[in-house]
Formats: sequence, structure tokens, C-alpha cells
Amino acid sequence: MSKPTLLLIDDEERILRSLRMLFFVGYRVHMTTDPHEAIRILREEKIHVVVSDQRMPVMQGSELLRIARETSPATMRILLTGYSDLDASIASVNEGEVFRYLMKPWNAEEVKSVVAEAAAIAEASFAVQSHTETASDVAIAKPRVLIMDHDETTARTVHETLGDRCEIVWASDAQHAMEELAKQDISVVVSDLMLGETNVGYILKTIKQLNPQTQCIVVTTFNDTSRLIDLINQAQITRFLPKPVSKGIFARNLESMLERFHMVRSQPVLQKRQAVAPISDPQEQVQAGNFMGMLGRLRARIGA
Amino acid sequence: MHSSNRSGGGVLALINPIKAISPACPLEEVAEEFFKPEYAKVLSLPVVENGLPVGVISRYRFMDIYLKRYARELHGKRPIRHFINDKPLLVDLDQTLASAAQHVAANMQFPLTEDFIVIRQGQYVGVGFVMDLLKAMERQMQAGTEELEKAYSQLKSSQLALVQSEKMASLGQMVAGVAHEINTPLGYVQNNVAIGQELFSQVQTMIAGYEALVDSLLDERANEEQIAAQMKLVAAMRNDVNVQEMLGEMHGLMADSLYGIGQISELVINLKNFSRKDAAATDMMDLNDCIESALNIGRNVLKNKVEVIKELGALPRISCAPSQLNQVFLNLFTNAAQAMEAQGTLHIKSWHSDDDVHVCVADNGKGIPEEIIARIFDPFFTTKPVGEGTGLGLAITHQIIQQHGGEIRVESRIGEGTHFHIRLPIVSARAAKPALLEATA
Repeated sequence: MSKPTLLLIDDEERILRSLRMLFFVGYRVHMTTDPHEAIRILREEKIHVVVSDQRMPVMQGSELLRIARETSPATMRILLTGYSDLDASIASVNEGEVFRYLMKPWNAEEVKSVVAEAAAIAEASFAVQSHTETASDVAIAKPRVLIMDHDETTARTVHETLGDRCEIVWASDAQHAMEELAKQDISVVVSDLMLGETNVGYILKTIKQLNPQTQCIVVTTFNDTSRLIDLINQAQITRFLPKPVSKGIFARNLESMLERFHMVRSQPVLQKRQAVAPISDPQEQVQAGNFMGMLGRLRARIGA
Repeated sequence: MHSSNRSGGGVLALINPIKAISPACPLEEVAEEFFKPEYAKVLSLPVVENGLPVGVISRYRFMDIYLKRYARELHGKRPIRHFINDKPLLVDLDQTLASAAQHVAANMQFPLTEDFIVIRQGQYVGVGFVMDLLKAMERQMQAGTEELEKAYSQLKSSQLALVQSEKMASLGQMVAGVAHEINTPLGYVQNNVAIGQELFSQVQTMIAGYEALVDSLLDERANEEQIAAQMKLVAAMRNDVNVQEMLGEMHGLMADSLYGIGQISELVINLKNFSRKDAAATDMMDLNDCIESALNIGRNVLKNKVEVIKELGALPRISCAPSQLNQVFLNLFTNAAQAMEAQGTLHIKSWHSDDDVHVCVADNGKGIPEEIIARIFDPFFTTKPVGEGTGLGLAITHQIIQQHGGEIRVESRIGEGTHFHIRLPIVSARAAKPALLEATA
């Protein structure tokens, strides 16, 4: 296998030189300070992983990654930024659909291992792309949508949009959500970040660990950049919609998530593209561990 | 709770349940009433017929009649009806204390010889003493004053809190900006050091390999085979990592790192200059230095968006609070950047006349609509969405300039830009220290 190819974009050349050296062994590295040049390279070359800065004079990183998504869908996208602002992180989820949101200053070993993981996934994606493997239409159970939000407008829109094709479950609390998860896998999760008094971040992270096919949409009034970044990396949420969200936008995103779920299910390599990072918060690790354990016991009892 | 003071309860507390006398009561019996010890304080007795007050007889008038020679004999048996004041001072139980007091004050006679009669729906209820009413009134006013004082001090402290929160908001913005500025050089410096560390250990292994080879070459006892094996090992290592090339690259990274550390130090110095926590609150300053300091701190907001054109003339130093003026300029610069929808220019000019230093800050942003320009220095006036601005930025700016004895003026044209002109006197006319801002600085 030839060396994987990286594309690095940052408006500071010293960042580029430094990162290139980190991947001196084992990779081919392209780098540029100009996002337009980066788009040209993406068009012309096979790029495994693109690592972009967010704040640049010509173009925001999330915008560049959105273009990369269209230009070269198999390429894995990583944002590396020193600025944790909410708009940028929302755009990186919804438009850039980034694999990881990494912060400057970065940990050299962490970045190395994330890029290595991404490169391997990209390689597999490229292989599938060339085979153009089509969806194997096995008789499929009705998709299930889990709502974890006390807001009735959320539930109503979900029912109106997907009610005809999906089984919809509205979980009132963490216990209820767990029982539903135990019964059968979930296709799409629509969740606020708070379910009553419970911070459901760990549940979303656990769900994605359990079943990488599940697509998560977060709709919330809760705007905390560092928690969002956590959810990008550790739950690979696919959409983050700040409340109040217009019904049209919400419905469109629900549709595309269901579509995404079908795609991911038919092409296992797409699941890897949403591989999650380990949970970093110690308290959440404990919560997720308990959740997983209880869920396992429940499943054993139900499924037997 | 205040309503009870204002309603009947106020007058109710003043009632003395004094037994009224009938208009038919003979004068000599009234005398007995007046001499009752429990009525010692009473100035007058109410005269009531069928529950309705018909008048009062005051002690003063009673004495005037009764102590005259032969008065007892002449008038003793005559009913009191003939001697009373039939226009008594009436106060309704449902009146507020204030209106009762007003009514009594307007109608009472001097010297004070009568009490007032309290009625409810025309019916006699009791007698009130004027002095009690005035005392109650005074207490109420006292309580009112205390309440006002409390409200005033609450208002003052919430104003302080707001000024503080505006400062914290702009501080937060500034810190976030500077943190990003630092994160970039910190990012590559840290990475370069990590790479250097790894390279260092690779070079170490390599040198050990070469040394072993040299040792075996120099060792007379070493045979061909051993030497060949050692050479193969070294060759493999050379093949594996191109140390020469990496060392060459590392050279560049070291230079980058020194540059990055220089950048970080510069940012830290800028921050220190900006806040001037370690300097005196008032100092002789060249305003151009304040402008430069604010530009350095605001660089993150301005860069990539704003072209800064400086025309800074030589200025005499003026006595001022530099940290406050830094804040003024940073506020004007960031406002200008926010007023630009895309790229724009910020024109900063400074000059001086005989008495004053002038600074002009002009942008070519979207401009301020005519209908709001008169209000931009008002506290709490903001055009930003709720939660994004406290509306205190320019109010604080205005206050700081005023406290320095100067003035700030604004001109703006929609679509063309906004122009702030600051004038500060060279010889400071600052009489007092700016108490509010000093306290929170």
C-alpha cells in the first residue's frame, strides 16, 4: 500500500511546517495557506485526510471542509483550531461533518493517532468507492426513532415528518430510553442535551458506541461550545440544531438523517467514518459504564 | 404592607375611644368628664347625637365659661348644646394618613385647643389627637425616606454591577482573542519541541550505532563478520530514517519556535501594558502609546478584516488613567470592526493644538442611523441582540472621557462610515478622581 496522503491548511506557515514534520515518516504531505489552492489539490489528488484551521482570512475552515465533502467524499475531515467559538463548532458538525474537532495547542501523539485512524478509514472508503458496492436490500425492520426531549414541538415535528415510515419512541427519562434501547436498535436519535435534570451527553456517547449506525441529531437551547466539541468527537453527532429551530429545517434534517441511516447500514465502511473517540470525562465514563452494564442485563432478560 | 399604612389602618391606630356626650348634657356634668384623670390628655370632648357628631367642646372654651363668676349657678343646668363648636374637625376612618394630616393641618386652629373627631360613613367612631397624627405622619415619612435610600443604594450597586459586567464582557472577549493569538504559536512551538524530543532519541540511537561501528573498526580483535553486521545495522538505520534531512528540517523548526516564543512574549507584554495593573492609576502618557496598545490587543478582531491606517502626530504627554484610555480605544476599534460587513478601513489620526490632544477614529462601516445617533452614548442603549451587548460600552467610554475633562463627538453617514473625535486637555482639569470607575477598575 502506498503512503496515505495528507492535506494541511492553516494561514500560519509555521503551523504547517510543524505539522508536516509530525507526519514526515509514513505520509505524503501537501500543505497550503490558501484554501482555494487546497480545493484545487482536493480535486486533483487522492487525499486521505484533510486537516484544516478554522479561522482564515479567505475562508472559514468549516466552509472549506463542506466543499471537501462534496469534492472528495471519501476524504476524512479534521478541524484543528485555537478558537472554540460556538458558530464554528456548529458549522463544523452541520456543514463540515468533521471526524474530529481538535484544539490548538495540540498533543502531538493524539493528533498522530487520530490522523492514522482517519487515514485507514479513508483508505477503506476509497476501496468501497471504486467497487461501488450497492445496498443489499435485505428485509429491513421498520426504522426506530428515539426522542429524548421534553419539548412537545420536537416530538410533533418528528411524528409529522417520519411518523409514516418509522416507529417513534418518546422517552421521558434516561431509564425509559434505556428500556427502549434494550428492546431493539435505534436508527435515529433526536435529543436535547438535558432531559429534565439529566445531562444526556453520556447516553448519546454510549448509543453511538453500541451501534455506530445510529444517527444523532441534537436540538437544544443549551449552547456550550466545549460540550458540543465533546459530542462531535465522542458521540459523532451528525447535526446540532440550536432551538428554536424552524420546522422546515428540522424536517429536512430529519429526512436526511433517515437517509443517512439507510446508507450507513448498507455500507459498513461508512460506519467507521463515524467512529467515536473514547469518552474523556471521568464522571461520564462511569455513567456510560453503568448504562452499558444495565443495558446488557436488560437485553439478556428481554432477548434471552 | 405599605397599603395598610395608607388605608384606614393608619387613622384607625390614632383613635381614642372616648365616650361622647350628648348635646343635652348639662354643663356641670361635662365638668366632671373633663376632670376625669383618664381624660387628662384630652383637649376637647365630642358631642354626638344619634351617632352623628354635632360638635366639640374644648377644655379651653369650657374653662372660659365655667370659671367665670356665678357661671355654675347661671349655666350649670344648661345643656352643652349652647356652648359647642358645631364645626368640629372631622377625619374619615377610610382616609389615608397623608390626606387626614393634610386636612387637619389646613383646618386646625391656633392655638391648638381641639382634637379631631374620627367618623365612618358620618358616624362617630372616636377622637384623635393632632399630635399623634403628626407623629404618625412623621414616622411614615421616615419609613418612606429609608425605603428611598435603600432603593437608591440598590440602584447604585446594580449600576456598579452592570458596569462591572460590561467590563467583564469586554475582558472576556479580549481574553478569548488573546488566547487564540497565543494558541497558534503555542501550537507549533509545543509540537516542534515534541518532534525535537523524538528526533533527539533517534539521533542518540543512531550515534550509538555509529560509535559501535567505529569501536569495532578500531578493535583489532573484531573479525570481518562482526564489522559487516554492525555496518548492516547502521545502513538499515540510515535507510529507515533520513536523519540528515530531518535535522535540516528541525533547524527550521527551531527558528520557528524561537519566533513563536517571541510572539507569545510580545502578547504577554501587550496584555501587561494594556491592563497596567502594575503601574500607577494615573500617569503622564503619550496617547499614541494607548492607541498602539489597544491595536495590539484588538489585533485578533481586526486582522483579516480591517485595514488600519495610522496618522499619528507627535503628542505631548498628558496626565491620564492609561488603562481607562486603552479601554476607550479598544472599544472604538472593536465597534468599528463590528460595523463593517465585509472588509473595511480604520483610519486613526492624532494631533494636538495649544491646549488639547485630539484623536480621530474613523471607519467606513455601515454607519449609524440618524434617529439613534443621539442615543449611542446613553447607558443600556444597544442595537446588538439581547445577551450580546450590555449597551454600556460607549456610555463607559463617554464617562471616561468626561472624567478626563475632555469630550467625545460622533458623526456618521449611513453607508459611508462613522467618525469619532476625542479631545482631551493637555493640562488636566480633573478635579476629582473618577470614583465609580476607579472603584471597579
